[in-house]
This record gives sequence, C-alpha cells and structure tokens, in this order.
Amino acid sequence: MNQWVLKIALILFRSNRYKAAKSFVRGILNDTSNPYKKYVDLSIIFLIMTSIAILVYQVKHPVPAWADCYDIYVVSAIFLVEYLLRVWVHSDITPLVIEEYRQSEFLGKTFHAAKPLKHAAKQKMEYMLSPSAIIDLLAIFPAYRPLRILRIFVLFRVFKLLRYAKNISQFTHVLSSKRFELLTLLFLLCFVVVTAGVALYVIEEQVNPDIESLFDAVYWALVTISTVGYGDISPVTDAGRSISMVIIISGIAMISFATSVIVSAFSEKLVELKEDRIVEKINKNKQFVIICGYGQMTKMFFAQNDDRLQNYIILEKNPLKVHEAQKDGFDVIQEDASRYKTLSRFNVMHSKITLLCLTRNDIENIYITLNAKSVSPKIDVIARASSREMVKKFERAGADHILLPTEVADTMIRTAISHPRMYKAVHAILAGKGIARIDEIRVLEQDMICQKRVDEIDFKSFRLLFIGIYRGKDHPFMFIPSKDEIFQQEDVLLVMGQEASIEYFKDLYQRGGR
Amino acid sequence: MIDSRVFLFGYGNHGKPIARGLSEDGFYVVIVESDEKNSQQAKEDGFEETYLVDVTNDEHLIKLNITPKDQLVCVMDDEHLNVFLTLSLRSLFETCTLLSISDSIHTTQKLKMAGADKVIDLYEVSANRIHSILKRPVTTKLLEGFVGDRREISFKEFVISEDSLLRGVMSDEYRFEQHGVLLVGMIDQELGNNFIFATAGVNHKLDAGDMIVCLGSEENLNAFENFITQTKKRG
Repeated sequence: MNQWVLKIALILFRSNRYKAAKSFVRGILNDTSNPYKKYVDLSIIFLIMTSIAILVYQVKHPVPAWADCYDIYVVSAIFLVEYLLRVWVHSDITPLVIEEYRQSEFLGKTFHAAKPLKHAAKQKMEYMLSPSAIIDLLAIFPAYRPLRILRIFVLFRVFKLLRYAKNISQFTHVLSSKRFELLTLLFLLCFVVVTAGVALYVIEEQVNPDIESLFDAVYWALVTISTVGYGDISPVTDAGRSISMVIIISGIAMISFATSVIVSAFSEKLVELKEDRIVEKINKNKQFVIICGYGQMTKMFFAQNDDRLQNYIILEKNPLKVHEAQKDGFDVIQEDASRYKTLSRFNVMHSKITLLCLTRNDIENIYITLNAKSVSPKIDVIARASSREMVKKFERAGADHILLPTEVADTMIRTAISHPRMYKAVHAILAGKGIARIDEIRVLEQDMICQKRVDEIDFKSFRLLFIGIYRGKDHPFMFIPSKDEIFQQEDVLLVMGQEASIEYFKDLYQRGGR
Repeated sequence: MIDSRVFLFGYGNHGKPIARGLSEDGFYVVIVESDEKNSQQAKEDGFEETYLVDVTNDEHLIKLNITPKDQLVCVMDDEHLNVFLTLSLRSLFETCTLLSISDSIHTTQKLKMAGADKVIDLYEVSANRIHSILKRPVTTKLLEGFVGDRREISFKEFVISEDSLLRGVMSDEYRFEQHGVLLVGMIDQELGNNFIFATAGVNHKLDAGDMIVCLGSEENLNAFENFITQTKKRG
C-alpha cells in the first residue's frame, strides 16, 4: 500500500501535464486576475439563477419534466464537479508524500504513507469545513420535490451566489473590524431581551391570554425592543407596561449605538474600499503604467500628454499630495511603492506593467526599482536619477530605462546652440510631431514580413528609411543590417518616415497582408 | 564654421556639463559667475575667460563686451537670479540669442516673459522623454541624448564643400549605406533653409553649401567625414 501511494505520488509529481492542469483549474476557480475566470463565474451564476427560477415557478405551476431533469441532473452534476475541483485544488498532496519519502530516505526509516496522507486529509478537511465549502456541498443536493422540506437546499444555491457578490464579503470584512463593539452590543441585547421576557412571563403568564410560554414572552421583548412592535402580543398589566417602557427606551439607545458603530466602521474603511476599486479596475487592463510620486515631474508628464494616457495609477505616500492629485482628477492611491505588499497587489502575471519612479529622491527611486524587480522581473522600470554617478546603481538595481532630467536638459541646450537647425529636425523626429518620425514595428508570428529576407522588402517604395533591427536585450542593435538578414518573430524594426507611409506599410505587411 | 562666442552665465549644476559639451563642439565659451567658488572651479576646469561679476549690476554686464553675434545662456543655480538675469540681458542686448533653463513649471512662463528666445524646461523635456520611452522604447534607448557622449547611434551634420565628392550627386541615388550611414535629410539653400527629410520623396541634387544630416555609429560617421575631406585634399 505504501509503495502504491509513493508510486502514484512520484508519477504525479513528475508529470508536467498534471501540474499544468491543476494550475489551470486553480486559475479559473480562484485567481481573480485570470482572464477565463469571468466565464466560469458567469456560467455558474447562470445555473444558479435558472435553478432558483424553476423553484419559484413551481410553487404555483406544474414544472415540465425537462426542467426537473435539468435541475436535478445537470445543475447538480456541475455543482458536484465544481465542489470536487475546489477540494482538489485547495491543497497539494503529492509534495507532502514526496517530502516524507525524502525524509525517511535520509533518516533511513521505512516509509509510511499514513503520516503525509493524514496531514493532507487535515488540510482538505479544513477547507471542507469552511462556510463557503459547506454551502457549496449543500447546494449540490437537488430539490427533491415530493419532499417539501428538501426545497430548503435550493436556498443554498442562493447562498452560493454570495461567493460572487464582492460587496457582501467587503461588508462582512468591514463589520468584522468592529467585532468587539458589535459583540458587546449583541450580548447586551440578549441580556435585556431575556430579562424582559422572563419578567413579563412571570408577571403576565396568568393574566395575559396571548402569552402561553416563555418563548412568547421573549419574542414579545425582541419585537418591542427593536421598535418593530407587531402588536400581536401586548402587556395588559401596569407592571408589564412599565417593562415595555424601559425596554423601548433601551432599544432606541442600542439601535442608535449599533448604527453609529457600523457607520464609523464604514467611514474608516471607505478610503480603502475606494482604493481597492481603483486597483481592481487597473488590474483588468492588459497594459498599464504605475507612476510613483505625484510631484512636478508627474504633473508635467500628464500635461505633456496629447492623447490622454488611459491606463495609469499613481502611488503617493504623502496624504497632502494624494489629496492634490485627487483634486486634479487623477486616479491615485495612498500607498508606499517601496513596500512589497503594495506592488504585489497589481496583476503582475497577466498584465504588462511599466513603472515610473519619478520621486525626487534617488534612494527612494532605487528602492522602488529593486522592489518592483523583486515582485516580478517582468515589470518594466523607468527610473529618474539625479546624476550620472547614480546610473550604475540604477542599472544594478535592474531599471530598464534611466532618465536623467538634468542631462536631458543640458544636452538640449548644447544642441540648441551647436546644431540649431538639426536640433529642430531631429527633435521633430524623436517627438513624432513633425512630418517624419521614427516608429517601431514589432514583427509578430503571423505577419507577412516574418521570415522574409531584408532585401525582399522594398522600404524605399514606401518612402521609408529602414534603420535597423532590434532583437531583444541580448543582441546588439543591427544598424543597417546586411541584405540576407532574416526578419524574425519579436524583432522590432526601426523605420523613419511619414506617419501615413508607416501606417500603409503596417497595413500591407502585418497580419497576413495582401 | 563657428565665429560666435557663447556667454554662459552660471557654472553650477547645469553650467558645468554644458560648458564642457560646448567647448567639445568647438565653441569659445566665456563663463560669467557671481559665485566665487564656482568661478574658481571654472578656471580650474580650464575656462580661461571666466569673469566673477555681480550679475545684478547692469554696469558690470555691459563691461563684459558682449557683441550682437554672441549667444547668451542663462543657467544660474538660483532660479530667481536666473529670471532677473534674463530680463537684464534682454534689455541690454536686444539682438543676441538668449537661452535659459528652467527648473520648474512656474519659472518657464516668467523666463519667456523676461524675453528669453528659448526656454528649456527641465520637467517638460524629461516628461517628453518619458512619453517617448513609453511609446518607442527601442528608439529612445538607441538615440538617448542624440548628441551626448554615450549613444550607440547618433546624428551628425555635414556641409557639402565646393570640391566634395558628394557635390552634384543625386540624394536619392547615392548609396550612403556603403559607408554605414543613412541619410536622414538635408538643408538645401535653394529651397530656403528648411529641413527636407530623405523620406519626403524628393530626389535632390546636392550643391556646395548644402547641409546633410546622417545617422550612423560614431565610427562610421567620422569615417564618412574623413571620406569627404580626403577627396577635398586630392582635388
């Protein structure tokens, strides 16, 4: 038996397919940044909705057989599969078994599968006992119609929707931050209700025909204290009415207290909720820019932007500046970009992120750069440095681009004096504002141009100047490449020309063309 | 080619690299400073004509002997002083070209009002640079500081002389590639002093006095320049 477990574990451990499948399932079920999760969620919500609709319909009408069939077999089966998958991806068993095996090998003990399996079972059990898992489990049971009581299981399908209602989880999260106050209040409420109920029961049980048991009295007390007051039970003696007066007043006090606790909890969390929204919104984009610091540079960055940058988020830790940015109408959150937690909130797996470190402080910029690179090396970092001496450090930290504002300006002055005419022309090319511009054309796999030889493409007929090929960081830039160089996938071609020519070229040669 | 002097006001954060760059480009640089330490530094760095004057005093400025051909560059470390100096220089020397550097958004406007012909706004140029990094990362990296010292590929201008080999050549037909350079554009005196891009589709005959701008590695550009001058010697 031990050997069998080990064998299976080893096979699974070595299988890349198994791992890929598991991480795929995990992605579509649990990872909010996964692009496919949306569709899984939507179909589950659809199943729930239809199953509830059938239940509501059948209260007054007979249900057609196919609907019954659908409800009992299709929905339940899918929910069962979903439940099993959730249990499956919650934790991994194979690494535990392998680890145990390695340890026993190392210590020269005989291998027993029982220990890791027990541990794994415990982990699975933990998941199965969590509220959402219990709801999922109960939602599998179909509404067996002849037994009316079993219809209650459909209600669990309604609860299943809670998983998709983010607001509810935020609500409970906010309330749980005031757990102490709310629990105190609840305890107080129980105390008053029970005391008043017992008192009324003792005083009026004999005289009041409506009160037959202690439950009636406690029910009356709760209806009264909540200021609902159905009036189905009401005190008839003076003593009973006195009790009512007291609990009505204490009820008002308690309700206002509870309201204020909940309101204050929300107002405390409001900023955080808002920021979560901004982060969530930005994470949905395939490509976005994170800007650290809201200073002069950032303001100028936005001011210089003709076609307003859409996907950006500003991180600023100074509350005053955050406020200023909000007033200027920018998406900003108050966060410290040098903290690991801050940057890992962003969708580093599925989005192409560019980070701009634009604070005045070199030390901070370096720190942010390092932080970004440690969160994910895929993040592109453009960092601002104050002087040439800093560049080495930024390079070591992994910055992809280093911007030296003073040097840029100094060079600009120097060129303006020494090559005034060329300065204008070259500037127009670089800024892409003049009649000619340099553009970058990325070669994709399906493009016509891919795998073509350089001299097969007549750039001149497009009125384009072909400058060279950039083939990633590891290759030097190919300036005026030789005639028999082949265009490869992911190459970036640098061409100069008028915008119309470049667009025409792209139209013809990209995506199959012709 | 260069017959004018450059008066550089200020030898601080910006002044130093600019002075070095300009003298590399073959300009005669005159440094004017109001700070003793900075002017001392300038002298140590080899700028012989360095004046230590009170730049707020008009008489001192007049004594500098500035001619209308000279170019004035204001890069004082103190923003306020820089604006004041721009204003005084403009009122004293109306015909000189006047350049100023601005360290903040608010100063740019003031410098323009003070009469600077061109204001380089540190933040504006940097912000533009960021945009071009975002839009065209490869190009920007390649041409970063296209006249700086650390580029892989850069631009260079050449003037076609009377006896140059290129004289009389049609711009579209000459194979610049054989020298490892690309023709980006030219300034033709016949067609006014406008810059014509090579991609505009104009096949033009190069005459003496025309200026062409080429793109290439430093090595190739220098070789190309030698190629032109060599021909001149032979001829």
